[in-house]
Amino acid sequence: MTESVVLAVVGHTNVGKTSLLRTLTRDVAFGEVSPHASTTRHVEGARLLVDGEPVVDLYDTPGLEDAMALLDHLEQLKRPGERPDGPTLLSRFLDGPAARQRFEQEAKVLRQLMASTAGLYVIDAREPVLPKYRDELEVLSMCGKPLLPALNFVARPDNRADDWQQALSRLGLHALLRFDSVAPPLDGEKQLYESLALLTPSARPQLQRLIQDRAAQADARRRRGARLIAELLVDVAAYHILVAPDQTAADAATQTMRERVRQREQACVEALLRLYAFRLKDASAGELPLANGRWEEDPFHPETLKKVGVRLGGGALAGAASGLAIDLMVGGITLGAAAALGALAGSAAEGGRSFGPRVLAKLRGYRELTVDDPILRLLALRQQQLLQALEARGHAALDPVRLDNPAEEVWRSGKLPEPLVKARAYPEWSSLNPQPRLDAAERQAQLSALERIISQPLQSRA
Amino acid sequence: LSNADPSQPLSRLDRLWLAEAVRLTEEHAGLLDDAEANRRARARGGDLRQRILTRADWLARQNGLRPALLQWRQSAGLMLVGLALLALLTGSGLVFAAVGDGSRPVNVFWALGVLLGLHLLTLLGWAASFAVAGRGGALGDLWLWLSSRIARSARTAQLMPALLTLLGRQRLARWGLSLLVHGLWLLILASALLTLIALFAARRYDFVWETTLLGADGFVALTRWLGALPSLAGFPVPEPELVRASANTAPEQEAARRAWASWLLGALLVYGLLPRLVLALLCLWRWRRGLRHLDLDLDVPEYALLRERLLPATEHLGVRDAAPHSLPNPQGRGHSEHGSGALLVAIELDDRHPWPPPLPEGVADGGRLDTRQQRQRLLEQLTEHPPARLAIACDPHRTVDRGTLNLIAELARLAAATRVWLVAPPADEAVDHVRREEWRAAIGGLQIEVVDSAPLGWLETGA
Repeated sequence: MTESVVLAVVGHTNVGKTSLLRTLTRDVAFGEVSPHASTTRHVEGARLLVDGEPVVDLYDTPGLEDAMALLDHLEQLKRPGERPDGPTLLSRFLDGPAARQRFEQEAKVLRQLMASTAGLYVIDAREPVLPKYRDELEVLSMCGKPLLPALNFVARPDNRADDWQQALSRLGLHALLRFDSVAPPLDGEKQLYESLALLTPSARPQLQRLIQDRAAQADARRRRGARLIAELLVDVAAYHILVAPDQTAADAATQTMRERVRQREQACVEALLRLYAFRLKDASAGELPLANGRWEEDPFHPETLKKVGVRLGGGALAGAASGLAIDLMVGGITLGAAAALGALAGSAAEGGRSFGPRVLAKLRGYRELTVDDPILRLLALRQQQLLQALEARGHAALDPVRLDNPAEEVWRSGKLPEPLVKARAYPEWSSLNPQPRLDAAERQAQLSALERIISQPLQSRA
Repeated sequence: LSNADPSQPLSRLDRLWLAEAVRLTEEHAGLLDDAEANRRARARGGDLRQRILTRADWLARQNGLRPALLQWRQSAGLMLVGLALLALLTGSGLVFAAVGDGSRPVNVFWALGVLLGLHLLTLLGWAASFAVAGRGGALGDLWLWLSSRIARSARTAQLMPALLTLLGRQRLARWGLSLLVHGLWLLILASALLTLIALFAARRYDFVWETTLLGADGFVALTRWLGALPSLAGFPVPEPELVRASANTAPEQEAARRAWASWLLGALLVYGLLPRLVLALLCLWRWRRGLRHLDLDLDVPEYALLRERLLPATEHLGVRDAAPHSLPNPQGRGHSEHGSGALLVAIELDDRHPWPPPLPEGVADGGRLDTRQQRQRLLEQLTEHPPARLAIACDPHRTVDRGTLNLIAELARLAAATRVWLVAPPADEAVDHVRREEWRAAIGGLQIEVVDSAPLGWLETGA
């Protein structure tokens, strides 16, 4: 097994070193992040593994705060007439008393960098290129390790990335990475590891493995996210309740149905957050629909539909207001005959389990409640937006998930995708119904088809 | 039933089966308490597949699935033995039903129908259900049902769906059940063949055929036709004269008896035993091949979650260099006893702020203090000529760091009186109140006064 690459994440205080680590490790619990200076005062490590094998060790370090004074101090450590090289001078400093007192934080950083393969110098790209940063780079370069500057906060409009690029190339640092730890570019990790591989050729094979592994996992995550949404939609589309032909029973069933659909959607939200390793409270607050990991707007409120842009036909409005379409059965032949016959045929093909009871119930004048199309569209849109937001979000983000309104006309106004139309006819496909048959082969096939439809816009982005 | 040894090593199929059962249990009832199992799986190492299997094995020991599986296997084995015995008895029983005890002449076509009829019917039924539904036949279902009846426990109820899901993935269930069906029929027919040989060897049977409607020619043709295939294997076909002679009364000839007996044996072997043998071997081959390819479906969402736990992409290495109890604080105490003049300096103001502002009479501009050289120069200058009043302009847009605080403290020590001016942002930017507060607190810690507007009046007059 090859040695793993050790990478020290260094930089001025409060430039987002810990945030960068959180994003790279996809771990929101790593270290502590705050908008204040000197939040991290210790050196803490995290290891990136591929198939259980360590590949890269990342070390978070305290921020450098007093590089100028340290440079002055290092000048004093030089004996007259002597020109020691960087590492020699630094070891002299690290052995001295100042490394335990005034420059303790700086000493921690330098010690870690000297023990690493390379350093990742994090820069707050919103800052002007001040002389103190140049002094920091001078001190760091004394460690004799390759340094890769990473410009953080480049997604903000007020960044000065171009100034930094010029200044860094004057200092001989031509490799430069633009990596916003809050909104990392989709191939940001890949760029980071590729740049590192250029700086440290010996680490190239491991880094290449890491790049491939992370890409594969991102892809798998995307597909799984789409699958979770597909399962939600099929569950809701196939959900039905037979109600006795009186108003109280219908009202009670409507309530039950709404509640269970809400719960089912929430379960999907939580599963998606878990999939992307976010905690519930990370997706919270403010003007955003997701508050404390929940959608604020009730899916059964017509206003919600309007907001997401699901169009309602004139006739559909009444149904949508109740959220449920009522399929009246009269003596076994229905108003929505096609759907009902399809349902009967479907259950017959699936082994006739629910064939008898359904026909009997319908003959006795029972009505069938199902969840209406606009609700399905709404659920599909909301969950897809959440998935996209999660895709594009770093684990350092302190602000809540922000959702834009992508133009997914298929879901807004087009025909419902075929798998959902089919699912309507198979009550046993829904985990919300009693006696579901979730591993029915046809259900699985339709889920896969739906999953492809959902993941398409994501793949084209990636 | 006897107690199964709980630590008995499991076959590959059993391990996969347990993993599937655990997965289904967790899918329906939520994750089990798996801290220890995960730890063990991580300690054992291997790829994700191996880790999932180790975890499932451990969890299954804990929640009783593993003993249930061992017990199921045991009872399934017993059932199999029972079915095999039943098959042997059925085989001999068939023969006795077909040829009787020799006291009456044997109706050859009737006997052949009894021996092969049920077999051919079930074979057709199997082929139909195999082609249409991909199932392994009713006998296989019966076996599964019986074995789950016998090992009657809640755990076993979870095992069966798991096995079917697992085998269903490679469409293996039908091959396995078909293997069972054909194997049992093979036993039935083999037992029948042996019983028939034994009876023919030890007893004397007379053979006739009877009809009410049909003519002799039809029987001659049928005999020849049925005997064609067995004749390839060396079983003689009765001569047409012999067939005609056997109508209604058995001919008293040794050769006739032998010809009919071997014709019957040949038909049983070729139309009964051989097809079942071929099918059983085919199923065995497919079953073995499928078993080799059988694997966990690592794409299911449950395993995606497990991946994070069993094969984490990251792990914490912990704190390598602990935080100090306290950070060195810049000391602000003390100031110069005397001084003369007033001085305004700026620390790390960026190019958005024009500098210096128009200064009143008697106030000197100390310039920007950004580089070490500038700082050094000013500090030396102040040591020689301490000012009476010093104003330091800072941009609260910067993060307060120790370097800046040290510099401010050092400057303040060299002046008789010092104020820090937190410069307002350019008109088009919002005021960052949080940052300003941090600056206030940090400078306040140095016991230096902080002002928000240009202290030019103070610099000029001291008031």
